[in-house]
Amino acid sequence: MKKKSLLLLITIICLSLVLAACGGNASNEGKKGNEGKSNDTTDSADAPKPVKLSILAWNNEKEMKPVIDGFKKKYPHITFDFQFAPPVADYIKKLQTMLLSDTTPDIFMIAAENRNEIIDGGYALDLTDQPFMSVMLDSNKPMLSKNGRTYAFTQTGWAGGLFYNKQLFQKAGINQLPETWDEFIQACLKLKEAGILPLYDRMHDITIIHSAMFGSNVLSKDPSFDEKLFKGEATFAEGWTEVLTMWKEGLIDNKILTPDMIGMTSDQVMNEFALGNVAMFPGGPWNIGTIEQTNPDIEFEIMAIPGKEPGNKYFNGAPGVGFAVSSKTKNKDEALLFLEYLSTHDGLKQFEEGTGGIITAHGYETKVHPAYEPAYKDGLMAGRIYLPMVSWDRHQEALRNQFLVGFQDIALNHITPEEATAALDKKLKEMDNK
Amino acid sequence: MTKFVRQLQFLLFLLPILVIYSLFTIFPLVKAFFLSFTNFNGYSKVFDFVGMKNYVRIFADDAIISAISYTLFFTFAKALLVTVLAIPLAMILDQKFFTRNLHRAIFFFPSIPSGLLLAYIWGFILAPMGSGVFNTILKGLFNIGPQPWLADPLLAKLSTIVVATWAITGWHAVLYLAFLQSIPKDYYEAASIDGANRLQQIRFITLPLLAPAMTISIMLLITGGLKVFEIPFALTKGGPGFETYSITQVIMLRGISETQYGLASAMSVVFFLIVLAIAVFQVTVMQRREQSMQ
Repeated sequence: MKKKSLLLLITIICLSLVLAACGGNASNEGKKGNEGKSNDTTDSADAPKPVKLSILAWNNEKEMKPVIDGFKKKYPHITFDFQFAPPVADYIKKLQTMLLSDTTPDIFMIAAENRNEIIDGGYALDLTDQPFMSVMLDSNKPMLSKNGRTYAFTQTGWAGGLFYNKQLFQKAGINQLPETWDEFIQACLKLKEAGILPLYDRMHDITIIHSAMFGSNVLSKDPSFDEKLFKGEATFAEGWTEVLTMWKEGLIDNKILTPDMIGMTSDQVMNEFALGNVAMFPGGPWNIGTIEQTNPDIEFEIMAIPGKEPGNKYFNGAPGVGFAVSSKTKNKDEALLFLEYLSTHDGLKQFEEGTGGIITAHGYETKVHPAYEPAYKDGLMAGRIYLPMVSWDRHQEALRNQFLVGFQDIALNHITPEEATAALDKKLKEMDNK
Repeated sequence: MTKFVRQLQFLLFLLPILVIYSLFTIFPLVKAFFLSFTNFNGYSKVFDFVGMKNYVRIFADDAIISAISYTLFFTFAKALLVTVLAIPLAMILDQKFFTRNLHRAIFFFPSIPSGLLLAYIWGFILAPMGSGVFNTILKGLFNIGPQPWLADPLLAKLSTIVVATWAITGWHAVLYLAFLQSIPKDYYEAASIDGANRLQQIRFITLPLLAPAMTISIMLLITGGLKVFEIPFALTKGGPGFETYSITQVIMLRGISETQYGLASAMSVVFFLIVLAIAVFQVTVMQRREQSMQ
């Protein structure tokens, strides 16, 4: 009985295997048949293999949806594993973890804050010779380059300046925008005399005013100053002492800016401006919507920071973060296709629509808010923007923190501008020798 | 043999938590100690051993020197203020009155939200402009002009301590309350029959019997205070200058922001030793005090 059961079991198994094999053949044949049929209409032998591209962005999925949908429409065989981390610190930490654990996404973003580490670590593909790079503005390239090679593609940029309230300026009798630093200080004092708070500036970071002042006073004379500084041919003392002295004498000593502003937040500063409590504040395109929402009646516009001599006006600003391709990607062609799509008119339009970023690519015209036009035309598109962290060659974060502490101490009259710049030179030396 | 098997069973039950603890606490500690002798930058897997260089650099760093002084000031001032406020508060909340539970909940509530959230709210209250909430009240009641609560070095230090004290006093009051409720009422009745007034009862019954609670509360306040980050960071970002930099903020700054992980690891090791030494000293001293009071 036992033998019979065993035989029956073996027979059943054998039969099942035979049937399964037949079934397999049948389905394979079926597939072949289908392929044959599809060959009649499209050439499926050449049809691209489905590919899943991984991407880590600091624009969220909603913001990136239009550009991703546009790309998928053009390349239906490519899908996305989309990951998001908010800028800046969270994004940098997440990317750093992925780089160190060999889980780098195919496409990621390079910012001013992590460009050195990514480029020096060989994590990003060299994109210099890719045809789509011709769309990128030359002024956008240095932030994402090293030794003349560019490692990411950016199609955006931003500029910040001083927003001023036109009604309050008129009330104080200021009918013309200041052309020089002295005129700017005079305008501030005129506002003060009229009982109007001239300017609020939160002092929690290198300010828009400092950056633009450096542009209008130092870079307008010597555009390669930072290059020299990091080659050891110039010092912070030579470049920044005069700027910080002008800032202190003009704004701190005249009590236009007061040390209590160190405790203010960006939102507080912006709200005070929107409510008409202060005539000027440093801001950028990200503020415009909220100002108008808070006070639809306000008449305002952005202006540059003038230098000592007339004609030298600068804004603060930088290129937007760049899209890079991982040097270890297994989907290099598809990742490059995505970057290429970003550079097309359709890609630029979708990116602008989704993220609200200001497109600064060749052959694409962005329509900006009228209040922002001076920054867009005279700053961004004219290349008269400056942000130290983008221009400084190395140790940006350490120098940024030292700078911040330095100018706060100047505002409190704890140190002189000379001492602040000496501390910056010391910090650079210390970081180079670490 | 049976005893060995029994012990083995206990050990087997402990194994999962031992693995998790080793993985998430012991391993990072050992790794930090190892990295403190290197120039690891957080990006490149290739790094060199630099010996004691990072440890030498700690004491040449202005930010860390300032951070140690602020953190110690913050810790001891907060511990003192919380203890001075929490014990009387616990005694009040221990009394029988109609809204007792509601009051216990109200005082306990500030310890629930994250320190960051509380600090952002206090940022508006302490805003330095004339339109800041606190400054408006001062102007309205006493005709005092706007004060730079978060920008003046001394006021910024005091503001962070006040906010941190406000946030945690209720929590510590609840801790004292639990101990208060364990004191037998007979002691007070006996003392009252002997003619002891309320103050004498507090002095000779309540405070000695609260000594174990004080040991725990102060230990938590000191270790928590030394590890402070959220409240000063959200209120002042460490400013003005280095005035309200906490030790943890400098470690994060040097490590994550400036990619000097080797230096930050050395700072963490030194910080760990400081916290350990202070906590062990405090617990030993206070336990002796407990014994002498009982």
